Amino acid sequence: MSRREQISHVVRRASMGAHPDIVAGLDSVDAAIARVLDLSGTPPQVPIGAPPASIDAQRPVEIVSTIGWWLDQMRASPRLIEERLVWFWHDHFATSIAKVRAPYLMQQQHATVRAHATGNFAELLHAIAKDPAMLVYLDGNGNAVGKVNENFGRECLELFTMGIGGGYTQHDVVEASRAFSGWVVNVPGRRYSARLEAFGAPPWHSIAIPQRHDSGSKTLLGTTAALDLDGALDVILGQPATGRFVAAKLYRELVGIAADDEAATRLGDAFARDWSIMGLVEAILADQAFTSPSAVRSRVRTPVEKLVGLVQAGGATSFDLGIVRNRAARGQGAFGIGEALRSIGFIPFVPPNVGGFPGGSGLLGPHQLVHAFDLLQVFDAAPVVPDDTDALFARFGLFDVSRGTRRVIDAEDDPGRRFALAAMSPEFAVA
Amino acid sequence: MSPRSYSRRDFLGRLGLGGAAAIAGGYGLSVWEWAGPASATTTAAAGTLGDGAKGRTLVIVELAGGNDGLNTVVPMNVGAYHDLRPTLGITDALPLDAEIGLHPKLAKLAKRFEQGQVAIVEGLGYPEPDLSHFGSIAIWWSARGGSGQAGWLGAYLDGTVGFDDPLAAIGIGPGPSPALLGTKSFATTIADSSGLQPRLPAWLDRPDDLLAAWGKVAPARTDASTLVGQVRRSVGLTVSARKDLAKSLVNPAGATPSYDTSATGRRAYADTSVVDSLALAAELIRSPAKPRVIYVSGIGDFDTHQAEAQRHPELMSQLDEGIDAFFAALGGSGDDVVLATVSEFGRRPVENGGGTDHGTANVHFVVGPSVKGGRFGEPPSLTSLDRTGNLVHTTDFRSLYATLLEGWLGVESAAVLGDDFPTFPLFAH
Repeated sequence: MSRREQISHVVRRASMGAHPDIVAGLDSVDAAIARVLDLSGTPPQVPIGAPPASIDAQRPVEIVSTIGWWLDQMRASPRLIEERLVWFWHDHFATSIAKVRAPYLMQQQHATVRAHATGNFAELLHAIAKDPAMLVYLDGNGNAVGKVNENFGRECLELFTMGIGGGYTQHDVVEASRAFSGWVVNVPGRRYSARLEAFGAPPWHSIAIPQRHDSGSKTLLGTTAALDLDGALDVILGQPATGRFVAAKLYRELVGIAADDEAATRLGDAFARDWSIMGLVEAILADQAFTSPSAVRSRVRTPVEKLVGLVQAGGATSFDLGIVRNRAARGQGAFGIGEALRSIGFIPFVPPNVGGFPGGSGLLGPHQLVHAFDLLQVFDAAPVVPDDTDALFARFGLFDVSRGTRRVIDAEDDPGRRFALAAMSPEFAVA
Repeated sequence: MSPRSYSRRDFLGRLGLGGAAAIAGGYGLSVWEWAGPASATTTAAAGTLGDGAKGRTLVIVELAGGNDGLNTVVPMNVGAYHDLRPTLGITDALPLDAEIGLHPKLAKLAKRFEQGQVAIVEGLGYPEPDLSHFGSIAIWWSARGGSGQAGWLGAYLDGTVGFDDPLAAIGIGPGPSPALLGTKSFATTIADSSGLQPRLPAWLDRPDDLLAAWGKVAPARTDASTLVGQVRRSVGLTVSARKDLAKSLVNPAGATPSYDTSATGRRAYADTSVVDSLALAAELIRSPAKPRVIYVSGIGDFDTHQAEAQRHPELMSQLDEGIDAFFAALGGSGDDVVLATVSEFGRRPVENGGGTDHGTANVHFVVGPSVKGGRFGEPPSLTSLDRTGNLVHTTDFRSLYATLLEGWLGVESAAVLGDDFPTFPLFAH
């Protein structure tokens, strides 16, 4: 494996794109790691409009402007690792506008994720548990004393903290759910909005209503007390499984292969000491495994990363996504990149379920492979790229390209076709 | 099979779900990227199951999220049911016999039942039920805890067609279903009737020829021991499946996708409605491609923790319409088609205030003109619940699979399922 491929590997794993111009300026793996970890640039601020007067004042489709903004941060924010972590936490604490309905709540959640993405996991977890979009998505909103709804309680243990097989039981799911009860969201335009405001929750805010909370004693993971939401989360954070599960999941995200038990325990136990997300990231990137040959190209590149990467490859300086661009005037029908991502089943803010986005072979079905071509519609004209095949692949952050793939590109004269086939090469399908 | 031999962690692990690592994929799993080259752990080697029944199609409809079986096939006269469901209990079920009735939104299915074309299989489950969506659906996908890398239909494909026919099995939905995942076979996935036609930008020169050029990245023999090699192989099989599909589908390149493109509401995600998906399934069955297996995944949002009184009737209505329109579209060729439902679990008998939480044993339908209708399995007790307040299953769900494999697809089921399971006499022949 060439050094350039290794440098590119570091950049694509610790960011959400290919970043060919950044890769070109780096001359060692150490320099690449230092660059991706650099958080000295200004953090992007999510553009959020004034709170809508009611749930009916906004349509779910309006989230597209935020999707476009977010994709542009992936393309251009100098804070590379932050973009990878923002995506990781969105996937981890998967929440879909398909159920939440209100773009405003999704934007608020996104701002919360960004605020904590490179910060402290315990604080992030506590914030997400009270986040209005999450309370709506996993029915915390309807979880009350005597009417315990287990949705958030179960997924919190299974997906957000301890992990499947992490040592909790159905009894713990019930007890955690009781502790989480009582939180509601003031959704303007819905029943009880005025009453919740009188309780102290402004529109679009969440609040714990004592009368709805199950204040009795619970026994959660061996701890018996009158736990509330924060108390229960602290009990869960005190379980060794939580640090190990989250650390192993981030390891897999960054390294591409599963952490063995030794690494998961070592990284997880260190993580649980202070819950420093960047501390964990630095430990993972410093691990020999991160730059080992078996880590390189061991992940399937997600459609979002593919889109960002090909925009960067084409050298676009702005990110007109065409998400709602209507091409009907040009006889092509209404079609935009949003349609392409939808067809593939991979739209930011629309995970298919609470388990997050598909990955691995779940992204290699014929339908997805073929419709990845649709992403090329992001360009209005053939991108201007180098004629030389090596230089063309370098635009995609690819350096070690097989002879078979090169032959396909070399057989083509038309620059647009060369670009399209490079973008759809097996090498660019993985990351 | 004893409960202990259900080594579900092992299967989850192989699917990339287990251990501490990668639940992240959710329903979309990661198998190829880490499992390495296929091993010989499946007992059914390519071709060892023979050819099976020719000219028949099995359609599986996966009700994603866990369908509330108690409100689908209603134990009308069981007092405990109405006690457990004071607000959500169905009081106007469509009676099928003295004991059970269908949800009132399943009127067309009820009519089909009267015609003897619907088998209702009750009490389906497995020991030590897993209340996790992801854990439990993985058990339903694999059907064999512990000893396979394949989904149950993937193992069937491994043992029959292998890599020879990429249209033998088609998954409908944006991503491949792990149930179809084999180690020596390939299932095509499509999500709309355009039949694997990309929407290429206008600036591309000679667009008709582009995918053929793309297919050349896949040499005749690919080294599938690396992830890039697996992508190459998938590209090659995709290009060949696409060629065959182009001959089959009436709705060729450039067709408007059948799913809603308004990006609003629950359908913002690319999963299509059961009606759209089954319409596509019917089109494929009538085409020269005529797959052996169609797997419709990710249908609906049956995870009704909340607002079940509003959401579940809508889901029932869509299922009713979808199944009815499907067999209507098939006409006489429906004789060669059987449709069966699956779901990761049923729902908790006791309601939670606005909905129902995750449950265990469930009821499923097997539908088609060739089905000998009636009731099979055994309804679970509503008075002796397990310690989590859930139904205790009466019938191993793999009996349903064994019935479909032996009675419909015509292969020996033990080689696919890893063990012998009793079958139900629900096929007329």
